[in-house]
Amino acid sequence: MKNNWIETNTFHYSDFQNINKLVEVKKQRGLSISLCLPTLNEEKTIAKEIVIMKSELMSRYPLIDEIIVIDSGSTDNTIEIAKEYNADVYEANNILPHLEKYTGKGENLWKALYITKGDIIVYLDADITNIHPKFAYALIAPLILNKEIRYTKAFYERPLALSKMHIRSSGGGRVTELVIRPLFSLFFPELTQIFQPLSGEYAGYREVFENIPFPIGYGIETSMILDIYEKWGLNVIAQIDLDKRVHRNQDTKALGKMSFAIIKTFLKRVEKLGIIDLKTDLFEEMIQYSFANEKYNSNKITIEEHERPPIIEIKEYMDKFHK
Amino acid sequence: MKKFIDTIPLLVPKIKDIKDIILTNIVLLGQVPSPTFHEEQRADLLLERFSYYDIDECSTDGFQNPLCIIKGTSEIKPPIFVIAHLDTFAKLDTDHNYTIKKDSITGPGIIDNSTGIGVLASLPEIFKHLHMKFESDIILAGVVHSLGKGNLAGIRYLMDNWNKPIRGAICIEGGEIGRLNYYSNGTRRCEIECNISTTIGWEHKFKPNAILILNEIINEILKLALPQRPRARVIIGKISGGFKHGVIAYTGRLGFEIQSDSDKMVQSIYNDIKDIVEGINYEYLVELKLSTISNIKASSLKYNHPLVKNSVAIMKKLGIQPISDPSSSELSILLSHNIPAVTLGITHGENYHLTNATVEIEPMFKGIAQIISTIKIIDSGICDEK
Repeated sequence: MKNNWIETNTFHYSDFQNINKLVEVKKQRGLSISLCLPTLNEEKTIAKEIVIMKSELMSRYPLIDEIIVIDSGSTDNTIEIAKEYNADVYEANNILPHLEKYTGKGENLWKALYITKGDIIVYLDADITNIHPKFAYALIAPLILNKEIRYTKAFYERPLALSKMHIRSSGGGRVTELVIRPLFSLFFPELTQIFQPLSGEYAGYREVFENIPFPIGYGIETSMILDIYEKWGLNVIAQIDLDKRVHRNQDTKALGKMSFAIIKTFLKRVEKLGIIDLKTDLFEEMIQYSFANEKYNSNKITIEEHERPPIIEIKEYMDKFHK
Repeated sequence: MKKFIDTIPLLVPKIKDIKDIILTNIVLLGQVPSPTFHEEQRADLLLERFSYYDIDECSTDGFQNPLCIIKGTSEIKPPIFVIAHLDTFAKLDTDHNYTIKKDSITGPGIIDNSTGIGVLASLPEIFKHLHMKFESDIILAGVVHSLGKGNLAGIRYLMDNWNKPIRGAICIEGGEIGRLNYYSNGTRRCEIECNISTTIGWEHKFKPNAILILNEIINEILKLALPQRPRARVIIGKISGGFKHGVIAYTGRLGFEIQSDSDKMVQSIYNDIKDIVEGINYEYLVELKLSTISNIKASSLKYNHPLVKNSVAIMKKLGIQPISDPSSSELSILLSHNIPAVTLGITHGENYHLTNATVEIEPMFKGIAQIISTIKIIDSGICDEK
């Protein structure tokens, strides 16, 4: 295990508050940057994310070149509001429409690769209530300042004690601590240094994202880390402390479904790597129980984890970006 | 002047061009909690927002009011002040995350006065966008310690310590668009504290109840005969006290304000209330303390003052219906220093002092156009004529 990765590849957003400098380096290196916001019924938060990012990181500091909203079928006013604030809005189903249609965050992120133009793509969840420009510039900064780093991931609050001088309280989310961290500890101990592998805010170079497969559902964050780690190693990854992120809290049953999908994605990945040998196919139903009307009732939900191939294998994408 | 006033509606769409910047300033500043006496963080952020622009001077004064000076073209014209108070009624531990919707922003303190502060922070960018230059220096001031027990301390300090003359001033408030305050009532803000001794003694065989004592005082105040001329009123604004449902209240606190357009009448009513308090104190053998939180003298611009007349003309040109009411805010301090000043509102709002306070976005651009136009007419010298 590479023991000093935390020290060398962990940053705090305040390390990068000189945004002018970032703009300058970006210009010198001839890079373009796209911000992608995947949405599904985010009418309460989407406007604020667009307004603040546009004003601060496009008008005030020209760090980001475009903001793209990819929606997976919102039934509220998300699309209307995003258009009102002049974001480029796309419905996922209308992108590469001849392909089989799936619904999920991973699908939006994958299709964003076809729509966006940037060399660097920043993905931010669209439900952040305390959105601030730091969510984007702090993820971008290590990518443009350090040529070795190709993928950055956010973490929040103050997990783990880094040293005697930097005491920090422990804690990723519940799924991180109860599912991901035990799995990483068992199979990839180095990856336990990533404090919040499930955080929905990350950025990276196009050449990284276009070369890895994208599960369309909850497994996207886990698989992304595993694939990048396997292909390029831990040193291309950096994590950035954004202090605090306010988001909706989910109930235990919802987290159970999320965990189901993540574990499934994880097991498939380790099997593919030849680390384990599953003798049987995994089931696709998550079974949960509730007590009502004096009896226990089982609730079965099918959670299929479809996976998109590396987008570089799609002809239209190759025609557009690699002619 | 008429020529300029005719062009004012053209400002509205140009201001709307930079809607994102204005909304971002309102939201980022508004999301920093800033209850009275705890405005430091918001003040720091306001300075940071000011300092982004190529501004001549940007710092805090001796009372920690953040100020920004945009130099004018004239060496001799006195400055024009644009003022917004930094504090809000929302508490430190209230969730301050705002929500932007298609046509509104919601969050605690948004009307009073995060919208005002956000627009103040945006003015340098708006001037730049509109290619506007002024003869006078424009001083943008976020003033601290305004509300409640703050007693307008920030603006008092600023005006006590700034070299006069000052050419004119505009106070900006989030709501309500159409307000045109140019006079302030004489106002005495007071508090009565009632404490009942908790020690056991013969004098309190049947202990009085602090809340009921305050109730007695309220009843006596309501019996006061207040005149129609000069106009006068007593507003019972706050009451608190007691510990729990089943225990007699040993403490209670009553906040009220005496308002009149005559300072003499304010004093006379205050004397009456003082007598009431002393009488009840004697009758019930409790500890009653009457204290004055603030005392503001009545002051006014005349309704035909050029600043008032032109402000009305600007509003009408923009299709805004002007409504005049007395104000007891920063305006009263400016007027008491003989500085021509008005208070203007930016937009329409609802749920003023609740956590779901909401402002409408669309009227803001007219509200801002009226503020900029008013600065422009002061800069043209209308207040100098006097």
